[in-house]
Amino acid sequence: MCECRNCNHCDKKDDSLTVSRRKVMAWSIGAINLAVFGAVFGPVLGFLGSPLKARTKKEWVPVCGLDELEPGKTKEVTYVVRVKDGYTMADHRYALFLKREANEVVAIDPACTHLGCKVQYQEKQGRYLCPCHGGVFDTEGNVVSGPPPKALLRHAVEVRDGQVFVQRNA
Amino acid sequence: MAREVITPEKPADVTHPPMEPVEELRVERPSLRDWTDLRLGWWGFVRKNLDEPMPPGVGWWQTLGNLLLTLLMFQFVTGFALAMFYAPSPQSAYESVVHITTQVPLGSFVRGLHVWGSTLIVVVTVLHILRVFFWGSYKKPRELTWLVGVLIFNVILGFSFTGYLLPWDQKAYWATVVGTRIAATVPFVGHDLLVLIRGGEEVGALTLTRFYAIHVMLLPAALMGLTAIHLYLVRRLHIAGPVLPQKGKPVPFFPVQLFRDAVVVLVGLGMLVYLAAAFPPAIEAMADPAGTDFSPRPEWYFLGLYELLKIMPQGFEVVATVIVPGLVSLGMLFLPWLDRSSSRHPAMRASIIVAGTAVCLMIGLMTLKGILETPPPHGESHSEPAQTHAMRVE
Ligand code: HEM
Ligand code: FES
Repeated sequence: MCECRNCNHCDKKDDSLTVSRRKVMAWSIGAINLAVFGAVFGPVLGFLGSPLKARTKKEWVPVCGLDELEPGKTKEVTYVVRVKDGYTMADHRYALFLKREANEVVAIDPACTHLGCKVQYQEKQGRYLCPCHGGVFDTEGNVVSGPPPKALLRHAVEVRDGQVFVQRNA
Repeated sequence: MAREVITPEKPADVTHPPMEPVEELRVERPSLRDWTDLRLGWWGFVRKNLDEPMPPGVGWWQTLGNLLLTLLMFQFVTGFALAMFYAPSPQSAYESVVHITTQVPLGSFVRGLHVWGSTLIVVVTVLHILRVFFWGSYKKPRELTWLVGVLIFNVILGFSFTGYLLPWDQKAYWATVVGTRIAATVPFVGHDLLVLIRGGEEVGALTLTRFYAIHVMLLPAALMGLTAIHLYLVRRLHIAGPVLPQKGKPVPFFPVQLFRDAVVVLVGLGMLVYLAAAFPPAIEAMADPAGTDFSPRPEWYFLGLYELLKIMPQGFEVVATVIVPGLVSLGMLFLPWLDRSSSRHPAMRASIIVAGTAVCLMIGLMTLKGILETPPPHGESHSEPAQTHAMRVE
């Protein structure tokens, strides 16, 4: 019987290897395989995980003129920011709800705090409605009903020379 | 035709005795068939599969696996064709799909085959799972056939989730915004997971390349490997047959069962071709993060989950996003070990049958609810959902 077990080619007993030499080789093969796996998956996983390290910085971006906002009313504006999107710089269009009260402007982000759908403002009811799972927010952005866990996000706002700026990731 | 078998002279120093079939085929002028068989063992393989014994009682319900295999090959071929015209970047993805749909000859049809094929695969996979479930065919020794099957099912859902983004239209973009946010509800690591899946904080260029690479490289490779194991196990362990053994002798796979398979493939593909030709998939407006009045909808077979999200009270979304789907997946995965009865007869494993049926009914009803509440596809009634919600508020 052949004892090397992985061939059926000979009927000779292969005694050229001692048990310990066989063991050393088997372990080395295992170790080399591990090293090969590590060499492939180590760099690849690091590469794929790189977005975790990317840092975003906050920037002030102009969104509209103060005179475009009627006091006491909520208005949806869209603005464009040049952002780094992976391998390119791209002009991204974002929406924002601006509410002017006396001389203060509140900027409410339209992303529903539940799972990120864009909420729509119903002026008559004074409510933000989420078309996805029925989240409802009041004019301040606080949750009225539905699944959203917290109030709509507010951006920091500054008014300079009649121009409204908000702070956001860029 | 007389064949002269050459008995090989065994040189003294050759220690490798030739294997049997090789010996048989050492004819002087072999036919093409013998020539290939000597090298590949192909005909033996084919013969073995055609002669595969089918226990009495195997019939139409056992044709679904084969239909799935055919549908998968269709997906592979049509997907390859689409990839030749598709460009995965936010600047070009939408345009390239519009080009495929409106300019490329037969483009709309090929895209239709791929889109409808994905839906048919989900339907047929579910039927295949149900048939295996009710027949109890996942029981010993077929536990791993089932387990690999569940992995395949998850790969299929992965295909549809990643594929849905590729056209980069409104539907694609918003379904992905919401779908990936589901990952963020995972406790502790949620945000990191979200960034890893999206390739950044927002759904953008890197999300698209990630999804594309997964859709056309990772998942096909995984699917092929898993399907190969699945089929190997199906053949190795043979088909289980009806829950109670029937009288009669096993029948070879060819011709009766293979004929049934062929008929079902004809019907299935007939449906696919009809759907692709009669209802070519549309494309909506291009993805717009600031777009107003759009109400996102996932692919129809995720609508059950979508409805579940709607009825979850505030703060409990993790139940709908992680706990329920997780429990269902784990339950499916380990079904052969949850169901410990030795009999495959439904009456002997009533609790499992009842539990399984209940889960299926729930999923079915939730999906139906989602379908009924979904506005007619492709945009005519964009403003409608807002009205429905408006009524709910009052
Ligand atoms: C791409 C997807 C799949 C393909 C191509 C496939 C293919 C097949 C084929 C050809 C058979 C034998 C004929 C038949 O019973 O229909 C089979 C049997 C089986 N399949 Fe699948 N299958 C797939 C998915 C699944 C899934 C998702 C599951 C379970 C979750 C599953 C579980 C099983 C089991 C347990 C058997 C053995 C049935 C028996 O012995 O009676 N399969 N499959
Ligand atoms: S995303 Fe707004 S309610 Fe779910």
